[in-house]
Amino acid sequence: MGEATAAVVVRLHRALYMQQAIKEAAEAFAEFASFAIARDGGHYAVTIGDIDPHADGDVVAEFCNFALYHTMQRKKKRL
Amino acid sequence: MTAPAVETFDPAQGRMTLALDVGLYPTDVLYGAAYVFIDRAYVLLDRDESAGKSGRYLVHLRGKAPLGEADLRAMAGEFGNELLSQALRRKIVKANQKIIEEIATQAIAGAAGGALPTDFLAGAGDDDGLDFLDDPLGIAVPWEEKFKKKKDDGDKEGA
Repeated sequence: MGEATAAVVVRLHRALYMQQAIKEAAEAFAEFASFAIARDGGHYAVTIGDIDPHADGDVVAEFCNFALYHTMQRKKKRL
Repeated sequence: MTAPAVETFDPAQGRMTLALDVGLYPTDVLYGAAYVFIDRAYVLLDRDESAGKSGRYLVHLRGKAPLGEADLRAMAGEFGNELLSQALRRKIVKANQKIIEEIATQAIAGAAGGALPTDFLAGAGDDDGLDFLDDPLGIAVPWEEKFKKKKDDGDKEGA
């Protein structure tokens, strides 16, 4: 990785995002950034740091989409 | 159902936030609509519990490609339409749940070879004494033979 950008905190609501799905997304994007997941009231606070400045696209936004997609998939399986 | 309210609108950044009543839109419907947009927009869902009795869902949308003001407004409208479509789909599935399950069960049982008609099974033990080569109705007799026989009979009658 080159010069990493400052850390970003994304708050994902616990009623709408599953922790397992967030972890899965974090694993998928591990080579582009570092992720720390913590509970913060009704949200999961995901601290995204060391974001690769050369990564193609918006890593944070793509991560959020990925976490949402995996949540949907997991909830669908549960039904 | 009421249309989602545009909470924030920022065409310069190509992003907006829509607000929906939690009581009006079930989570499945919200997920369904978000899923449709996930390939062309960055979607972030949130919930604002401070507003109203049940709270609101907040849908943050940002186009993956740069969007103008008109595109962004169109996207807001499309999201509202998709919510309605998903709600209707959910209602239809619920109403036809039993039929869907029955059809699926029959299809799976049929594919597994387990579901033979009951009358077929009941008749399996019957033996009418016929071999598979027997032809009591004369179905296997060639047309020429049948025709020739009749013709010969006709010739005899004529003579």
